[in-house]
Amino acid sequence: MLEEVVLLAVDETSGGLRSTREFGTAYALVGAVFFDLALARKIDTGTEAIHILDRSPTGSATLDRVLAAMAQRGDLTSVRQWIDEIFHRRDDLEGEALHSLISLGLLRHEKSKRLWIIDVERFPMADNRPQQDVRLRLAEAILSDTIPGTRDIMLVSIAEPCGLLGYVLTEAQLAARQQRIQMLCNLETISRKVADAIRALDATLHQGIPRMM
Amino acid sequence: MIQLTEETRSGWRVVSVSGRADSEAADALEAALRSAVEANARVAADFATLDYISSAGLRAVLEAARAAQIRGSEFAVCGLSAPVRKVFDMSGLHHVLRIHGELPC
Repeated sequence: MLEEVVLLAVDETSGGLRSTREFGTAYALVGAVFFDLALARKIDTGTEAIHILDRSPTGSATLDRVLAAMAQRGDLTSVRQWIDEIFHRRDDLEGEALHSLISLGLLRHEKSKRLWIIDVERFPMADNRPQQDVRLRLAEAILSDTIPGTRDIMLVSIAEPCGLLGYVLTEAQLAARQQRIQMLCNLETISRKVADAIRALDATLHQGIPRMM
Repeated sequence: MIQLTEETRSGWRVVSVSGRADSEAADALEAALRSAVEANARVAADFATLDYISSAGLRAVLEAARAAQIRGSEFAVCGLSAPVRKVFDMSGLHHVLRIHGELPC
């Protein structure tokens, strides 16, 4: 899920990461970590608290680090608290996901200088088929009336509050399917909680309210 | 722990689910519902004695409903206990699932 989110955010022409909202990609990566942990059956949630089910390694350094941090913080029990915590830890989720995609051969890493002194990094697509696949899955989940797969429901519920749907569908399409998008964001407990937590974090950051603990 | 039993009633394959549909039980729940959907045209999941459903349990139900839709089978969820109804109501699952108060058969 982490790699799929980065694929959604990569500009296929410039090779940069983008979002239509401030912090959009950062929120999306935090949400993706949660979904990856849930899909790996490391965490689960009911209507209130989030539970750690299994502390054994997942094989992903990023997920294992977050899981270990969660295991040490028994005082944080809700998805919202954890989204807030992971966001403020400022771990380099973006860099780790980019390196994962580079190692898979999907992105290239290019460094250059702007005005001879400023380092500029770009991540152009080495193979754009996985990005097209993610976009197609998202478009189909939103434009069709069928029940999407779990990963696609999760992807919609990250992409919507993080401003990434605008790279998949037109404004008119998004406006016409707003009810469907909201229904999908709400459909599954952890997806709903992550989407709500991202919206709350975004509101907090933009209002200058101290983080919740 | 989850208990799964199956029987056929008036053309419906009824999968009765008791206990807790949590992460530990989600694979068994999804497998039972999917195999019922693959072998029958009409499947009802009876949740009258299901005490709890987590996010993982909900995903299992959604995947079974999706499999039924792809196959063209009827899939209904029935007799929700109060705690499970609360989760279904919050999720708006009535948008994608047929939910009955009682078994349709």
